[in-house]
Amino acid sequence: MDLEQLRKTAAEVVTREDVKYLVGWKKGSYGYRVAPVFVEDAAGAAELLFSPLCTANLATYLTLVEKKPLPRGQEEDKRKVALFVKGCDSRAVTQLIVEHGIRRDQVVIIGCPCPGVIDTAKLAEKFPETEAPAEVQWDGENFILLNNGEAVKLPREEVIAEKCRFCRYPNPVISDILLGDKVEVREPEEDSGVEEIENKSIEERWDYWENHFSHCVRCYSCRNVCPLCYCQDCILDRLNPTWVNRAVNFSENTAFNLARAFHLAGRCIECGECERVCPANIPLGKLNRKMAREVRDKYGFEPGVDPEAEPFQASFKPDDPDDFIL
Amino acid sequence: MSAMLLNKEKWPDFIGKLTGKKIWAPSGDGEELRFAPVAEGETPQLAFNNTRVPPKNILFPQTETMYRFQLGDLEMEIPQLDKETIILGLRPCDARAISIVEKLFRWDVDDPYYLKRRELVTLVGLACNEPGLNCFCTSVGGGPASTEGLDLLMVDLGDKYLLETITPKGDALVDTVKELLEEADEASQKLKEAAVNEAGEKISRTVDTENVAQGLPELWEDPLWQKVSASCLGCGTCTYLCPTCHCFDIQDETEAFEARRCRMWDSCMFEEYTLHTSGHNPRPTRRERTRNRINHKYSYYVDKFDVIACVGCGRCINLCPVNIDIVEILRQVKEAL
Amino acid sequence: MTANNPYVPYTATVEDTWYETGGDRCIKTFKVVFDDQSVRQSWSHKPGQCAMIGVLGIGESMISISCSPTEGNFLRFSVMKMGKVTQALHQLEAGDKMMVRGPYGNSFPVDEWQGKKILTIGGGVGQAPLRPIIEYVKANREKYAGLTMIYGARTSGDLCFKSEFDEMNKCEDLSCHLTIDIEEEGWDHNVGFVPQMLLDLEPSPENTIVITCGPPIMIRFVLENLKKLGFEDEQIYTTLENRMKCGIGKCGRCNAGGMYVCKDGPVFSYAVLKEIPEAFA
Repeated sequence: MDLEQLRKTAAEVVTREDVKYLVGWKKGSYGYRVAPVFVEDAAGAAELLFSPLCTANLATYLTLVEKKPLPRGQEEDKRKVALFVKGCDSRAVTQLIVEHGIRRDQVVIIGCPCPGVIDTAKLAEKFPETEAPAEVQWDGENFILLNNGEAVKLPREEVIAEKCRFCRYPNPVISDILLGDKVEVREPEEDSGVEEIENKSIEERWDYWENHFSHCVRCYSCRNVCPLCYCQDCILDRLNPTWVNRAVNFSENTAFNLARAFHLAGRCIECGECERVCPANIPLGKLNRKMAREVRDKYGFEPGVDPEAEPFQASFKPDDPDDFIL
Repeated sequence: MSAMLLNKEKWPDFIGKLTGKKIWAPSGDGEELRFAPVAEGETPQLAFNNTRVPPKNILFPQTETMYRFQLGDLEMEIPQLDKETIILGLRPCDARAISIVEKLFRWDVDDPYYLKRRELVTLVGLACNEPGLNCFCTSVGGGPASTEGLDLLMVDLGDKYLLETITPKGDALVDTVKELLEEADEASQKLKEAAVNEAGEKISRTVDTENVAQGLPELWEDPLWQKVSASCLGCGTCTYLCPTCHCFDIQDETEAFEARRCRMWDSCMFEEYTLHTSGHNPRPTRRERTRNRINHKYSYYVDKFDVIACVGCGRCINLCPVNIDIVEILRQVKEAL
Repeated sequence: MTANNPYVPYTATVEDTWYETGGDRCIKTFKVVFDDQSVRQSWSHKPGQCAMIGVLGIGESMISISCSPTEGNFLRFSVMKMGKVTQALHQLEAGDKMMVRGPYGNSFPVDEWQGKKILTIGGGVGQAPLRPIIEYVKANREKYAGLTMIYGARTSGDLCFKSEFDEMNKCEDLSCHLTIDIEEEGWDHNVGFVPQMLLDLEPSPENTIVITCGPPIMIRFVLENLKKLGFEDEQIYTTLENRMKCGIGKCGRCNAGGMYVCKDGPVFSYAVLKEIPEAFA
């Protein structure tokens, strides 16, 4: 990945007449952080980067737009939004197009083939974070961490993010511009990381999830970061009627998390953001990947791959073999 | 006010002597620590940086029943709070936060739930020998060994803990374990000072708060608010993990015929926080909400209670999913002023 | 029910209730008395204050107390049907119970205003927070230099407290000017918007206090016109509203800038408000 090329392309795109702004990644404020940034001019594009620390899925900003009432006479700015996507992120964009959450002509997609991102928690265990933002690069089967002027080689296995082990689409499935060479598709680990739980007995599974959901603080980070949770009026927030009480306890937390997983079945594109952002370290990735695997195994369907596909569980034909819609 | 020493070997005995009270201490493994009740016979370990969730949920539970009632009936049953509690191993920043939030819960009208719990709790703090990467307590009136809000301060001196009592409650606690303690000598005091100074010097992040409280209202329409809030997801992580955040919602929740009115944490970053039933929202976008949050902590609270409602614990910086950094925001505020 | 716990409401019985207006967002007035005699005796409130009223199991809403303490040992609330809680309140009939706690907020500085002329400008349901000051002045006529009331709504059906207006015009020092937005058969008072009527009446700013409540757009034009007529910021008062939960300044949400509407308000003078940009959001 040529950084110069990336910045040049971004500058070109953002200065286009029909582009409102561009969402990309830039160096964070400390340690291993990388922050999403909204760029509106060529100067901003000079800060952009793409590295193994770019875990954030920027597709969530496509639907996180808030529409403030405009002053009289001012028209809404309907120009396009440009954004950088990795392989998994691009699936989110495709799924949004399938669901009519966004229109294809509203986005300019800059695709970045991705060899895999780092789990910063695992990295921080080996090399504690420092105040100065760090730099990490890809290097074949390894990562290179530039630490205090030294280049430290990190074997992929030791620090790769969990979700990348199961990645089937490292190359963006949709893009207007593709930056860099395509990445070789690895054989994903088959079990989606859920076999460990599937092998537990029902009681063990209950205990496992009870332990985790009891610690959920209902911050809604998982829902807000998810590119596919974009209902303006989330059913899990509603008070009239109240589907899930506002009270935070094991029962309500379980209802919240499971309902969200069900609403994502056949839609979750396994970007792993929910798991990354959870302050209580709840293994939400396992939950959502399990649902995704069920859909894959039983229906042969994968969301976010084909922009012409029909939404899973949301399409019906009169000649459906089942005589009942549900 | 006294200073005593406890040999670390005697730590399990120390815990054993604190019977009859509910003890909360940090527990868990890896990064995700939280305050949890110490079980009978268990000995909490105090080697950690700071918990994810601050101990505010012991005094201000995330969900608290204010009163119960039966549907169709008007008898309200208020839960009784009477369990004496000790919070062990909280950091000085979290203790300071408790005394900061207490001002609001005492403002004009007493909040009976919070203040009753506050009365029943003894706060045993642990001074910081190693500050976290994103700690900035010294910039907002705190420090690695600040005693504000604490009843007893413990300082780790290697093989011993130095115990400094600050309030009569601290004295009372030390009294129950005095057989295990020795008088603190000057050498230990010097060790403490050295450790505290070293910790203070290791704090690398700083925030310049001079004139910020007065100046913030002038920046009401400044473009910086749009910039810093652009990537905000509107989740509640920063507010829920903040030791000084205290906003709550009140909801009536029913289960069959039993019902209760309870209060639960709420976040000013949620869209519907100030949403009126009419549909009007005075803070419609994350820009307004971020601006309100920073103003509340660094300006409004200062106007009302003379103290910044931020203790520099760094949790919001560590856990914001999109790296919105309050130190960075304040730097931009200072620059704009 | 302990007096020490500010979150615990008192039980009150609805003595009487009637509709002021019709339609989807109808306004219903409730006259309530506390069940507990000692509460009834010890309760005191000032014009401008609010109370949290609600139904156990549904929730509470902060509603302005729309009666003056001079009227008697009861409380009046005029509630517009908008959401979950107000819908539940609207289902209450005479004899039903309502939970009430309060009084909350600051009040109109009635003592400071003695000797002055009072001008109230209301629109729609905004008349509800103005009613207590009107009744207070009526009951304390000798202390004030007169009362003028301007009140308008979209249609005559949207006017509240209709039965109380005729009496006002019979007195020398009290006058009542009603207006509706559009011509209506049988309506023989003014037709036009409230801000325009204000300009037409040309009240003198001398020794006068103005209180205005109503929809934001009306307030905006009323303020403009008041400035045109020469009123100073310190003479103009209004009430703010915001989403409220605790009513006692703890839950943190009702603030407009550094002011909590439940404690530092809801009554604010324009001199204070113009320093708070969030107040006009």
